[in-house]
Amino acid sequence: MIITKNISKHFGSFQALSDVSFEINKGEIVGFLGRNGAGKTTLMRILTSFLPTSTGTVLIDGDDVAKHSIITRQKIGYLPETPPLYLNMTVKDYLKFAAEIKGIPAKKRRRQFESVMAECQLEDMAGKIIATLSKGYKQRVGIAQAIIHEPKLLILDEPTSGLDPIQNLQIRNLIKNLKDQRTVIISTHTLSEIEHIAQRVLMIKSGKIIIDEPLDSLMRSHSFDEGSGQSRAMNLEDIFIHHHSDQKTQNIDSKLVNENG
Amino acid sequence: MDKVYFIAKKELLTYFKSPVAYISLVLSISVFNVFFFLIIDQNRELSLRDVFHVMEFMFLFLVPIMTMRLFSEEKASGTMEFLMTAPVTNTAIVLGKYIGVLVFFSILISLTLIYFVIIEFFGSPDRVTIISGYCGVWLEGAFFIAVGMMTSSWTRNQIVAAMMSYVILFFLYFLINFTKYFSGAAESIIQYMSTLTHLEHFIVGVITPSDLAYYLSGIFICIVFTRLSIENRMFQ
Repeated sequence: MIITKNISKHFGSFQALSDVSFEINKGEIVGFLGRNGAGKTTLMRILTSFLPTSTGTVLIDGDDVAKHSIITRQKIGYLPETPPLYLNMTVKDYLKFAAEIKGIPAKKRRRQFESVMAECQLEDMAGKIIATLSKGYKQRVGIAQAIIHEPKLLILDEPTSGLDPIQNLQIRNLIKNLKDQRTVIISTHTLSEIEHIAQRVLMIKSGKIIIDEPLDSLMRSHSFDEGSGQSRAMNLEDIFIHHHSDQKTQNIDSKLVNENG
Repeated sequence: MDKVYFIAKKELLTYFKSPVAYISLVLSISVFNVFFFLIIDQNRELSLRDVFHVMEFMFLFLVPIMTMRLFSEEKASGTMEFLMTAPVTNTAIVLGKYIGVLVFFSILISLTLIYFVIIEFFGSPDRVTIISGYCGVWLEGAFFIAVGMMTSSWTRNQIVAAMMSYVILFFLYFLINFTKYFSGAAESIIQYMSTLTHLEHFIVGVITPSDLAYYLSGIFICIVFTRLSIENRMFQ
């Protein structure tokens, strides 16, 4: 589905991504992990063709996103970190506009609109001005615009950022329902979310991929000593800290037997 | 073309969902009405020549307010990412937005057609001059809108966009006053660049290819620059 070859991206002298290569197969749910500024959003923006690469290529279903961006964009549903909403529009008008510019044929538009309204549980909000909605509902509207054209690839940049625990759970359940039949790339700092949803983890540090592994094998390969001579599997948060923070790494390293158990 | 239409429709509806549209329309029409009756009362002639001059001067102030939000607001609110990751070409985005404002501007102009009806009622004005004057004012407005859209694509701050637009439009408007300091080719170039020169021809009923080329090429250049600007991600 997605093949990236040696992608690099720099903004002036700042190197945001450096020689990033990976493949994502159809139907995979991949979690992008990394600290703020690691390059996750830049990578997602490159996949959506919002940003061009400095070097390297991205192929989606064999089409180069730089050369055939209109074709590849048709296959992608994208929710940026800040939901891209026209606040003075009603939910209905906004989604209708999204359906129009995403090229859904006129005959299918109404059906698609009703389908995403139901899927994102927005039926009661259709006539509301987006500015008046809660953050959780705004996020749902953002997800609704991303899936309205039934994309094969869904890219979600921190979809639960800033939500309360209940909203967080609701959005997580919504994403769980969306993943059927789709390839999903999700970036989040809520690592338990990745543990629940993703099959594979791509960890990015300073613009480079430092881990590209299926989630279960990643969890198996990391464990630490509880002090009783027995090793226990680390959770994703431990693994993340282990690979990112020197200070905290020292604390965990003291417990760590070895990475392979 | 469908997508140009959808974007233009959305832009137009956005105007009418905010007070900007109604304030612009009421303010402009009120000022035009006052000047129309003052001019007719003063000149006692069946012509809209001076009314067109007032319109042009008003549009210098009004158009940047109409256009400042076009791209600046999209950049500031993050909806630019929505538009530019949708299966829409950048040309369609620019044209859609431009046509949306142009339709709004045309509605504003069409509300002043009542002046034509009034002077027709009281006598036999030179219709060709009036129609050509309206064409000139419309083309000038279309050019001003293209300039405003271009500056809006340069920044995420709407006020800065309006200010840059004012600088360019005032420069083009008052340029004619500097011809006395130049001679020869420089004088001709300054004269050609000034918006006043071209509208003056339309107002007296003379439409030349040179005047048409001025407005159309100006609109084209601004549209091309707008497209280049939104393509350049460093601006975002």
